[in-house]
Amino acid sequence: MASGNGAHGALALATPAQVNRDLLERHQRRTGDTYWRAMALFGALFVLGIIGFLMRLSDGFSDKAVWGYYAAVFAFILTTAQAAPLVAIAPRIAKGHWRRPISRAAELWSVVGLFNLLLFIPLLWVLPSLEDTRRTLWFFDAQDPNFSQVPIFSPHIWATLALVGLVVTGFMLLWVSALPDLAAVRDSASGWRQRWAARLAPNWQGTSQQWNFLYHRTGILGAFYFIMLIFVHFLISVDFAMALVPGWIDALFPITHAANSLQAGTATLLLTMFCLRQFGGYKDYIGLDQFWALGKLMFALSLLWFWFWFSSFIVLWYGKKPSEQAALQLMMVGPYLPAFMAAFVLNFLVPLFTMIWNPLRKSIWGPTLIATSILIGTLFDRIRIYVPAYSVPGIGNRFVEKHELSEVPKSILPDMADIFMIVGAIGGAIFIYLLASKVLPVINVWEQKEMLLYRVHKPFHRIEVLVLGKRD
Amino acid sequence: MALRSVLGLFTDENVVADAMDSLRAAGYTSSEYELLTGVPYPEGTFGEEEPVHKLYRWPLVGAACGFIVGLVLTTGTQLAYPLVTGGKPILGIPPMAIIIYEGTMLGAIVFTVIGIIFESRLPRLFMGAYDPRITEGYIGVTVTAEEDRMGQAERVLREAGAEDITRGWETPR
Repeated sequence: MASGNGAHGALALATPAQVNRDLLERHQRRTGDTYWRAMALFGALFVLGIIGFLMRLSDGFSDKAVWGYYAAVFAFILTTAQAAPLVAIAPRIAKGHWRRPISRAAELWSVVGLFNLLLFIPLLWVLPSLEDTRRTLWFFDAQDPNFSQVPIFSPHIWATLALVGLVVTGFMLLWVSALPDLAAVRDSASGWRQRWAARLAPNWQGTSQQWNFLYHRTGILGAFYFIMLIFVHFLISVDFAMALVPGWIDALFPITHAANSLQAGTATLLLTMFCLRQFGGYKDYIGLDQFWALGKLMFALSLLWFWFWFSSFIVLWYGKKPSEQAALQLMMVGPYLPAFMAAFVLNFLVPLFTMIWNPLRKSIWGPTLIATSILIGTLFDRIRIYVPAYSVPGIGNRFVEKHELSEVPKSILPDMADIFMIVGAIGGAIFIYLLASKVLPVINVWEQKEMLLYRVHKPFHRIEVLVLGKRD
Repeated sequence: MALRSVLGLFTDENVVADAMDSLRAAGYTSSEYELLTGVPYPEGTFGEEEPVHKLYRWPLVGAACGFIVGLVLTTGTQLAYPLVTGGKPILGIPPMAIIIYEGTMLGAIVFTVIGIIFESRLPRLFMGAYDPRITEGYIGVTVTAEEDRMGQAERVLREAGAEDITRGWETPR
């Protein structure tokens, strides 16, 4: 049995066979009460979300303003859960050993992409066609004989294709990286788990060629996932937010949206690690090294949050164009000032003034609490962008002026349906993650076993040091 | 003659390397024996040949196809309806780049998915001998050759120090 937490999350088990047995036993053992309680809780929230969605659906799609919170929670899941796999991809490419115990937990979030794809479908009905004369990337102009030929559903088509590409890539990445572990489950488990694993990894034998392919596939698919995630953020932020606000033209906003997802994805994984450690029984594997390394990354990304926000803000504020002032008024300093301030404090100020302290940064609880702050801040940030964007009068009406916001609409507070949908979507995402964790081991078994090949304790003068090797 | 497969199970890496040498000395070519491990050892650890793959070609070809489709689509539509707007050129690169980029990425991804399936030889027709103990930490050396050479393969593996021998034809999967 594991004893204590060693360096880089590896535990004091000496052989691949011991690691294999230990992790597969943890994966296959009878599910504890904590898991079922969590499933019941998040399942109930999910059901609430469905009720909220049905309530909202009864209002129809003609009033765009009522769908703002729905769009915000869709963007929130895109920013958090769908960005979490990146935390496995980047350190794997950089060959960082510390990521080994958390790479599967990160990749497993890609299953939530399918859930978010379903959430995206109603937005296709909410977003009007280009015929309402709003200014977009697609250069549609109904008055012009040539530009009227642009497909009026271009935003819908391309965003859907990009999102489908992201989800497919995420699933492929997860499957490819889990093949050796599925083979281990196939060879040692029984019942439904064994049957599933045998279906998903029928031919994995562990030949040199298969391992070689695995390395190349994970590298290529990881790079694709990263590219597609940035691209999806680009399209969603432009077509489903910025283009709806007359006069809001900000070249930095798409990459700001994407950079926020790197911060929120890291925070999502930190919170996942904490739950796996505290409630999932993986204290021996997920240790201080993982929290420390990710905490530093999250700190850097929190500083980046400010940089991106300020770079956009200064252009709009200093330019003093009425249309840009109105956009600032709408999303930052006007009716949504409290939501903006919450995002500013929780995403930037709290991480800045807490993570600068070594004892807090190098701890389990410190990065976890800051990650919670960032996730709450990100929700407020998405709310203060998407809710006002959908509340702009005249969306879908081509007779309303689309070059400048004539009047800043009042803030829209969430009603019962909105609250149900927000908690339901978040609950549904966690519910699906919990389900997936029963099919695949949440700790990457083969990467843990591989770690043993590159780790050796050596005497160094009067102490013993840990020497870590790296594959070329 | 029908192909058969035999698997020798080992626990010591050095013994495996010796077994591979013995197989080579006994006249087996590198395409006739294979190493099975539950852990990705660095290539060449056991003196085996480095696996060759052509996976990188798939995304490159896919990306090229997607790029061409995106370019033709955007150029063709704009040339079919030429109109100068705001003094900008008819072939506006910024809006074209978005479609071309997405076409390139979609092509690369679709071809990679196909390439992964193709390069993985899925479904694999002849699986060869296998033992679940591989995933538990044993190292396997499997020899796949004609039926009349199985006896010799078994003998070489035993003499090299195999702890157990599994015959593929006796353990159908």
